[in-house]
Amino acid sequence: MQFHFIKKVCPIKKLSKITTSSTAEYFAKNLQQVGFSSPVKAVLTTLKEAMDNSLDACEEANILPEITVEIKRAKSAIHSDSKTSKKKISPTEEKEESESMAAQLPGKNTELVEISVEDNGPGLKVEDLPKVFGEYLASSKFGKGRCSRGQQGIGISAATTWAQLTNASGVEVISKTKDMKKAIKVTVDVDIKRNRGIIKKKENIKWNKPHGLSALFRIVGRIQLKGDGGLITYLEGTALVNPHLTLHYKLADKEWRHIEKVSKEPPVIPPATLPHPHTMKLGEFISHAHLFDKVALSVFLKKGFSKISKKTLDDFVKNSLPPVLLKKKVQSFTDVEYKKIFQIIQKTKMANPTTRSVLTVGEEALSHSIQRIGEVDFFSVITRKPRICDHKPVVVETAIARLLEKALDSENAIIRLMRFANRVPLQFDKSACAITKAVESVNWKAYGLAQQKNSLPLGPYVFAVSVTSPFIKFKNASKETIDASEELVEEIRRTLMQTGQKLARHIKREKKADDLERKTQYIRQFVPILVKKLGDITKASDKRMEKAKKGIMTLLGQDTKEAQEALKTAETRLRDLHSKALITTNLEKTTTVKKEKVASFSKHQKRIEKTQTYRKKRVGKNGS
Amino acid sequence: MAAKRQRMIKIRKLDKNIPKMATQVCETMLKDLEKARRPVLSAVKCSLDNSEYDAKKGYLVPKGKKVHSELNVSSVQKISRAIFLLEILLNNLKGGLINTKRELYYICKGLIKSDTLYKPLDFDSQNESDSTIDFITDMLEVYREEMNCFANDRGGQTYSKNLIVTETLPDNTKAVVDLSTLGTTPFQPKNKPQQFQLKKKGRIDFCLVVESEGTANTLVANGMTKRHNCIIMGAQGVPSNAVRGWCQTIQNQLKVPIFFYGDLDAYTLQNIYRTLKAGSAASLIRNADFSAPEVRFLGLLPEDVEKHDLHCYEVSIKDASEMRSIKKARDVLKNDPFFQDKKNKKLAQILKWLIKEKKRCEQQSVFSIDPKNPKVLEEFIVHKIKTKSYY
Repeated sequence: MQFHFIKKVCPIKKLSKITTSSTAEYFAKNLQQVGFSSPVKAVLTTLKEAMDNSLDACEEANILPEITVEIKRAKSAIHSDSKTSKKKISPTEEKEESESMAAQLPGKNTELVEISVEDNGPGLKVEDLPKVFGEYLASSKFGKGRCSRGQQGIGISAATTWAQLTNASGVEVISKTKDMKKAIKVTVDVDIKRNRGIIKKKENIKWNKPHGLSALFRIVGRIQLKGDGGLITYLEGTALVNPHLTLHYKLADKEWRHIEKVSKEPPVIPPATLPHPHTMKLGEFISHAHLFDKVALSVFLKKGFSKISKKTLDDFVKNSLPPVLLKKKVQSFTDVEYKKIFQIIQKTKMANPTTRSVLTVGEEALSHSIQRIGEVDFFSVITRKPRICDHKPVVVETAIARLLEKALDSENAIIRLMRFANRVPLQFDKSACAITKAVESVNWKAYGLAQQKNSLPLGPYVFAVSVTSPFIKFKNASKETIDASEELVEEIRRTLMQTGQKLARHIKREKKADDLERKTQYIRQFVPILVKKLGDITKASDKRMEKAKKGIMTLLGQDTKEAQEALKTAETRLRDLHSKALITTNLEKTTTVKKEKVASFSKHQKRIEKTQTYRKKRVGKNGS
Repeated sequence: MAAKRQRMIKIRKLDKNIPKMATQVCETMLKDLEKARRPVLSAVKCSLDNSEYDAKKGYLVPKGKKVHSELNVSSVQKISRAIFLLEILLNNLKGGLINTKRELYYICKGLIKSDTLYKPLDFDSQNESDSTIDFITDMLEVYREEMNCFANDRGGQTYSKNLIVTETLPDNTKAVVDLSTLGTTPFQPKNKPQQFQLKKKGRIDFCLVVESEGTANTLVANGMTKRHNCIIMGAQGVPSNAVRGWCQTIQNQLKVPIFFYGDLDAYTLQNIYRTLKAGSAASLIRNADFSAPEVRFLGLLPEDVEKHDLHCYEVSIKDASEMRSIKKARDVLKNDPFFQDKKNKKLAQILKWLIKEKKRCEQQSVFSIDPKNPKVLEEFIVHKIKTKSYY
């Protein structure tokens, strides 16, 4: 009876079983974390991920990228084939049809959108296709310490998942490497339970390209062309920071647009760098150490990290690291010992990590590229030397341009700010971004721009700010905002101020020209009035008045001459700036930088290769 | 149509021939221009940094700084406008015509419209023509009223049962106004020269100038002028020239103590009370005739607030508009020579109290002491005068 009573009052619930889920399952349920939080963002993120992959692939293979993008409202769901659809329909009908189809799917104001991205990259082998498009965290770039656009191997798999979830079909891929005679056309789905890519409908097709890859996604989303989150904004931005890119695109019912490359050289990809111990957390340090289990601590520290020499090891000892530990094998350390070693390393002063791993667009390329975003009145560009911010190498580049087409109607509008991280446009969550904070912190009035306190400046200007680093700290997984650390904001701010100084020369010249115009006009307008009124009051003769008029013309003419001279000086300075700072000096600078990079590349590459060989050997011995 | 020249009442004895002076200025300018020399127009700098408080005289006087406008491309518009308006004012003086500043603004607009030559002179707003008129008067060191330019009448509504005002009109006829016979209508001085002779009908113990016109009316309506031998005047905010001149007339002719009653804040202390007592920085050359140095500050005082626990408004530091009053108090202490003078040390202490307490108190808050007593303010004021609770 007693037992029965207890059971009734306090029923003991059966504990739920603890299960594990695959990475794909996690992301499938949390796609908003990687950029699929709204229909507009879904289209943009899909395009962005496909473009990033294409650009990275071309750069790796040293190919000048030529990418064709087509985004349109899909004519029918799931098994649409644009080539077989012969019936011509108007854009309005197309939109209505797409919306009616999307209305059957969850989500308001959505449409079925077809996103096609085709590149001339090296292409992928058939066995790699499911890994790239259908498996999460399968990446060739993870933890490499490179300034590549993609890093973790999440984005494009997330796009496939979104297509699968919203249209029950993954991505259609056509791929051809230079060794293939025919291209392979496959549909890749994500096996969400197992986090694996599955190939469906594999066929060989004729493709008139020597090599390349084409990815076609049909997803539920919404096409937004303009504005901060717009597709045009993204494509223009991508073209701006990739001067070597040739881009053809057609968006919705708009005409095809072709943007030609302005640089004939693909960017020099700097070598990957070993990690710097000051950029690591304890957990990362221990995991990294496990790769070097059988060697002594001194060997691990010297080969596993950058900037650790024999002298640095001596410094660790001076900071109370027992010398015995240096000879001890890494695998024998306890967690307490790891912690101790880690703390000693952190408190020892070390050389900053190398800045060689940072990639720049370059002032020359940027100055050509900025002219692709519209008819530019004038512009100024700055590429700073790589610096260390928060123990990480960073390079900041800025371009400020005044657009002619906007000059008349947007004097009081906020400038257009284009943000880039590792040459990828950032289009959301602007206010929290380090770049926005840096732009707002500059007193633009000093450079001739209108600005309200602690706000973005006003006027028909485009501000493009690019931050490149192998270790950019983003605020979220969808990489929309750069974390605003004090050091980074200050570095961006300094670059902006340098650009502002150049810009001020242009504005100063304009002001001088305006001044001259105003003065000339004033003389014409006021001289007759003043002389007439003085004559009326004093009842002076016409002869006196004529003499006074001549006198006043002489006086005010002197002022005008001064204004003319000031304008001339401003123009000369500006010309000097154009000829020296933007062309001659920078060409030389760029060449020197490139030579240095190549030299350091070979030296550095040897070291990296050594480490990689060592790692491979280790992995082989462990048999895992 | 030529207007018949009228005889004007003069504010002061002026030994200047304004038309002659003005013509002389223009003649010098013309000569300079003939010789291709840059003419320079100089005017008294009417600003606080050129003000000095003359404790003996009791009002602000100019220190001696001048504003020099040399003819160049930047100043040609200002100088052309000044000469253009000067001709209009000289014509008014010649014809005995008068105008307000606003009327002059429209006269300028009309003349500019009638001749395209003058188009570049056009005034966008009255402020522009007003500042040009001020520049002319500061340059010639004459009063605006002496150039026959008058402001609208504002403030100075006066009530008393014991005051008789005799006004001598331009044609030498005399108008006698017995204020006790006006009923509910007040006597109001004009913002142009008037010649008054004041006479006491009975005893007059004091004159009370109240910041708010409405509160002055309340005091009269509740019978203060019947119960007390006094003059009550409403200032209606910042005292106009008429109010300042009228107070000086009362001070000089009746020799009665004059008290000012208003809000307890920096604006009242500087812009209203100081202007009434010592004139303003903007009208430095006119303060001798437009100030009443014997006026005393009756309140509200910080001790009144503390004694009666009067309702105050807290000045929020976060609110920019409210913080302005604190900023003003700080600026006044730092820059205003009137408050820096040791004679006005107690007034400066009020400002310090305002900064410290971050409060402001309104003149009507006294009604909260005894809400059922309509005479509460009258009793409060009379008690303060009797106990000499004023600065």
